[in-house]
Amino acid sequence: MAEVVIGKLSKSFGAVEVLKDIDLAVEDGSFVVLVGPSGCGKSTLLRSIAGLEPVTGGSISIGGREVNGLAPAQRGIAMVFQSYALYPHMDVAANMGFGLKFAGAPKAEIAARVQEAARILQLEPLLKRRPRELSGGQRQRVAIGRAIVRKPQVFLFDEPLSNLDAALRVNTRVEIARLHKMLAATIVYVTHDQVEAMTLADKIVVMNHGRIEQQGKPLDLYYRPANLFVAGFIGSPAMNFLKGEAVAGGVGLGADGLISLPLPPGTAPGAHVTLGIRPEHMRIAAGEGGLRLPATVDLVERLGETGFVHLRLASGAVAIAEIRGETGLKTGDRTHVALDPARLHLFGADGRRLG
Amino acid sequence: MPQGAYLRLLLFFLGPAVLVYTLFSIYPLLATILNSFYSRQSDGSHLWAGLGNFHTLLLDPTWSGPFWNALKNNVIFFLIHMSVQNPIGLLLAALLSLPRLRFRATYRTLIFMPTMLSVVVIGFVWQLILSPLWGIARMFLNFFGLGFLFAPWLGVESSALITVSLISVWQFVGIPMILIYTALLAIPDELIDAATVDGLNQFQAFMWVKLPLIWPTIGLVSILTFVNNFNAFDLIYAMKGALAGPNFSTDIMGTLFYRTFFGNQLQLGNPAMGSAIATMMLIIILIGVMAYLFLVQRRIQRYSF
Ligand SMILES: Nc1ncnc2c1ncn2[C@@H]1O[C@H](COP(=O)(O)OP(=O)(O)OP(=O)(O)O)[C@@H](O)[C@H]1O
Ligand SMILES: [Mg+2]
Repeated sequence: MAEVVIGKLSKSFGAVEVLKDIDLAVEDGSFVVLVGPSGCGKSTLLRSIAGLEPVTGGSISIGGREVNGLAPAQRGIAMVFQSYALYPHMDVAANMGFGLKFAGAPKAEIAARVQEAARILQLEPLLKRRPRELSGGQRQRVAIGRAIVRKPQVFLFDEPLSNLDAALRVNTRVEIARLHKMLAATIVYVTHDQVEAMTLADKIVVMNHGRIEQQGKPLDLYYRPANLFVAGFIGSPAMNFLKGEAVAGGVGLGADGLISLPLPPGTAPGAHVTLGIRPEHMRIAAGEGGLRLPATVDLVERLGETGFVHLRLASGAVAIAEIRGETGLKTGDRTHVALDPARLHLFGADGRRLG
Repeated sequence: MPQGAYLRLLLFFLGPAVLVYTLFSIYPLLATILNSFYSRQSDGSHLWAGLGNFHTLLLDPTWSGPFWNALKNNVIFFLIHMSVQNPIGLLLAALLSLPRLRFRATYRTLIFMPTMLSVVVIGFVWQLILSPLWGIARMFLNFFGLGFLFAPWLGVESSALITVSLISVWQFVGIPMILIYTALLAIPDELIDAATVDGLNQFQAFMWVKLPLIWPTIGLVSILTFVNNFNAFDLIYAMKGALAGPNFSTDIMGTLFYRTFFGNQLQLGNPAMGSAIATMMLIIILIGVMAYLFLVQRRIQRYSF
């Protein structure tokens, strides 16, 4: 296994710059998850690491060796594709051994390594089947098996679970986590799924428009997002944002009144700021005072144990608060919402976190 | 749905197709086969001849000579298409699907263009090009100092059939190209990416991944070529006339049938023998298609992605 170090990587398709100045270090044996909105360049970054896309600038090194000029097969990587990309005309064993066969490995060794991977992934009874005779989940396991057989230094996954149904996705996610531990593998993993990102990652990398917005431990991103984009992207439902301006002793929210909180030093009075708070840190509470804002209930979504209340504040801003247990709230109710002062995030006019 | 309404609906949707198909395909076919069992007397009456016409066609030297000659020529015609047209079509399709190719649509259109032209036009144009008197082929070869290679290819017995076959290849190479190209496009890019990660270069990925996946299409192209070649008539007729000269060296089943059935110059039309030839053509094509279906198609399965 090996670490991956990416420095000042850029990539353009013609005039379109898809990756800009990407700096990323993937430590040996760590699980890094790339997330970001569709089209932000996650797949392109992964394919650049694999060597499937020539890069425009910057360097990529795997295990201390610069791989910019190397073909994918020489980089010590294995990739698992979203569509599985199994060879339809070969059976499972041939699919898994194909790369080794081309590398000129002896037959006995190929067979042994295929057997080993099949054992790990419980694919033994399926070795003689063709891909079309497999279910989606089985195909996914074969694709992972094909990666394992190559004994790569780095595994690259591009949205491997997005074609599976919900139940299978949970199983396979757990499976991947188990494999990561067992193989002590270095993994770079692209996903759209927040739960996958939060549960699997040692480090999450949030990308937007070809740039890295923030990278860090899942909970760090959750509790201390570096900017508005990350704050809005991580967490579901998304963080609530209230626009206001810095005043002495707090943040003025116009018609919603004043939220008193210590401003970080250097915040100019009158500066435009955005207050962020997650739905789970807002409570529906009657009464006044403290960090309470009057609100009208727009809609109540009940999921069972928890639920979400869509609120309209006095200023017209909308917010979502999480509720637990049974409440009698219904659309049109006038109520108050209390904000947990310890969980408030403050962002400056440029979108960056203050304090 | 009540049964009556169902039958009416069936009749409404299937009726026209069945009618047209019966009238213009099934009836002529059966009539031809039936016709081949009768012989026509000099007084114009028909007489049941059983397999007599076939006996004459295959064993009587005046009939069997032209028949075996036409069949041999037809086989050569087909083999040239199989070994030249289809490999070139495959190669062109592979080139067309290269990711970094420019002017793709232009090439595709240009190569496909001759297919859409009338065979008569093609035949005439090539006759002009290859003419020893004013054809540009000679000038073209002279220009490269290769003038000594020129010969009146269409007029020489040993080369006429090959020349006509190659002209037909030139005209129709667009069809295997388009069919195979379409099949190549259907192969997902990720599959080739996977092969690249597995260490295959572009050529190897073609040989080991793409080619196996387009075998069914190549099989289809082959059987289409076979059927078309054994039904061919128009290009030979347009270029060499019904006599398929020189000295019947370009005579194929279609032209032999035409001369026999309708008559030509000194030869009187003989519908009975013509029908026998047409029936033989049907049998040959049937055997070819059966062999393909039972021996080849079973082995090349369709793969789903
Ligand atoms: N071959 C290409 N030619 C031109 N532009 C491309 C090409 N491949 C990708 N792009 C562009 O690069 C950008 C990033 O694409 P990429 O596939 O990396 O996005 P992504 O983050 O993986 O999106 P998704 O989550 O939808 O998979 C997109 O705007 C896309 O249009
Ligand atoms: Mg993608």
